[in-house]
Amino acid sequence: MPSIRVVNFSKHFGKVKAVDNVTFEVEDGEFVALLGPSGCGKTTTLLTLAGIYKPTSGEIYFGDQLVNDVPPKYRNVGMVFQNYALYPHMNVFENIAFPLRAKRLSKEEIAEKVKAVAKKLMIDQLLGRKPMQISGGQQQRVALARALVKEPAVLLFDEPLSNLDAKLRMLMRAEIKKLQSDLGITSVYVTHDQAEAMTMASRIAVFSMGKLVQYGTPEEIYDSPKNMFVAAFVGNPPMNFLQGFTVVSEGGQLCLRRGEMRLELPASAKERLPENLPDNVVVGVRPEDIKIETTPVKNSIPATVYVLEPLGRDVIVNVRLEDTGDDIVKIFAEPNTTFEPDERVYIIPKQEKVHLFDPETEEALL
Amino acid sequence: MKNSSPQSLTFFQRNSQRISQIVIVTILILLTLPIIVGYAWLIIRSFSEDITHGFIPTKLTLKNWRFLWQEMKGYPNIWHTTLNTFLLALGVMGIEIAVTSMGGYMLSRYDFPGRSAILKFILVLHAFPAISLMVAIFYVLWNIGLLDKLWGIILLKASLEIPWGTWIMKGFYDGVPWELEWAGLVDGYGRMKVWSRIMLPLVKPGMAVTAIFAFLSGWSEFIFVYTFIFSQKTWTLSRYVMGIIGDYRFADYGLLAAVGLFYVIPTIIFFFFVSKYMIKLTIGGVKG
Repeated sequence: MPSIRVVNFSKHFGKVKAVDNVTFEVEDGEFVALLGPSGCGKTTTLLTLAGIYKPTSGEIYFGDQLVNDVPPKYRNVGMVFQNYALYPHMNVFENIAFPLRAKRLSKEEIAEKVKAVAKKLMIDQLLGRKPMQISGGQQQRVALARALVKEPAVLLFDEPLSNLDAKLRMLMRAEIKKLQSDLGITSVYVTHDQAEAMTMASRIAVFSMGKLVQYGTPEEIYDSPKNMFVAAFVGNPPMNFLQGFTVVSEGGQLCLRRGEMRLELPASAKERLPENLPDNVVVGVRPEDIKIETTPVKNSIPATVYVLEPLGRDVIVNVRLEDTGDDIVKIFAEPNTTFEPDERVYIIPKQEKVHLFDPETEEALL
Repeated sequence: MKNSSPQSLTFFQRNSQRISQIVIVTILILLTLPIIVGYAWLIIRSFSEDITHGFIPTKLTLKNWRFLWQEMKGYPNIWHTTLNTFLLALGVMGIEIAVTSMGGYMLSRYDFPGRSAILKFILVLHAFPAISLMVAIFYVLWNIGLLDKLWGIILLKASLEIPWGTWIMKGFYDGVPWELEWAGLVDGYGRMKVWSRIMLPLVKPGMAVTAIFAFLSGWSEFIFVYTFIFSQKTWTLSRYVMGIIGDYRFADYGLLAAVGLFYVIPTIIFFFFVSKYMIKLTIGGVKG
């Protein structure tokens, strides 16, 4: 049984359509990320799940219950905000105890629960401090403790890691994921960081301009993006796009042509490609799906080395395609790769990893 | 090319910071001198029989403070008058805090029809000189039976102060991030509880500022008391001071100074109590 169901949900602020006809489900105990650039409607969706906004149209279900008009306090959700939203006039203990006081638990019970969750998050020595007196990372843990202490049915995260420094972010990323899978609480996590979404979530909902563009597992999102937006947004460095190719059939073999340039498509492309192809297509290849050779081989494209970006674990080689001279392609290469700038190389995209997009609609064709 | 080693600096260059400090302090002293002299005169005069050369007491005495322990002929009891003044100041303060802490919240957080009109109107109301309303106010107070009553002055004064106070409080509420309120809602509280348990404590500095100004405006109110209060038992201290100056008798300057000083003391004490709120006018704990 799905724990959260969002059906044809729209939210308008005046004339602005913040969220436009979005439908998705979150399974019980699942960790779902809402991913997208700022202003894409992901936070609005989250706040509607929390009950702070009401949908303009559409339905939100928790289990079988329609919750459109249920105020936040009856939803049993825990939420972690981007700026933590700790109550500055209360100490850490009181901050964590605040949701429990709403439930009118006994003093002893509250103290017990607060101490238990504080211990779990390793902030039990901070209980007497004010939020101002602890570090950003500690504030983050307090916010998490406050969300967890009431044992919510749903956990909502609004970019909880974006105010932390890079190192701490990596640490908390793993910790939140572990915590979520241990507790098994259904979670929705809003982020603009594709790496966070990829590493933490079991499914990702990619938002763009108020619309849900694609909903699927991280692998689906990464390997078969529905359109150029998703392809470019997920992955770092992003997918390489090459404009102006035509699909031609040469003796039963489908090929991509741009002037002299010729790329063979895999045999399976025939069935997967739609009937009516546009005259022009955009070719997309991820940086790790291209090999570099120093001598010409079958299906290779001549290029010159532009610049190298060594990352330690591997090197990003930037090459310029020779035919137009406009396309710069980023390629992941082995760490010990050495090329001279302006050196001539031949790049070979992996046939089965080539994506094709319609330049007009930006939808994926292959 | 000029040599710019430290030795070659002129006296003025080396001491520029200290010199500018001296200049600033001197200017400030000159500007505040009239006020300082005024208070000094008040203190000295209130404890002296008479003074010569404007400042030199001829003989020290407590006679001028006799109004504190003996009935003054032609004046109401000073303690009763002081109580009236406190009632007026605290009444104005209480009403203003109650109304503005809620009104400011509404204007800051709710979008209701007429909100922007109210916001504009508030500023106009504050700029409106109350003296031009005298006749109308007289008529209203007379009609509702509050003429010559302290309650009448309290309500009148509060209503004139509320627009400005609401504006101040709105500003303080605007400074509290929405997320704190949302967090309270998610944590299981209704809108009222969130307001009283999260928002109110966070706008305490704003309430303190509003309270100070409301108290002081009530404490120092003169023109309405002078116009709408007739019986001596309802006098406040400002009216009492006026009584000393404006009587057909010769003005007793010693008495005037003593009463004037007495009138100022509570204000100073009150200010010391609340000034700590005025200093820490920050709302913290939230990273932007």
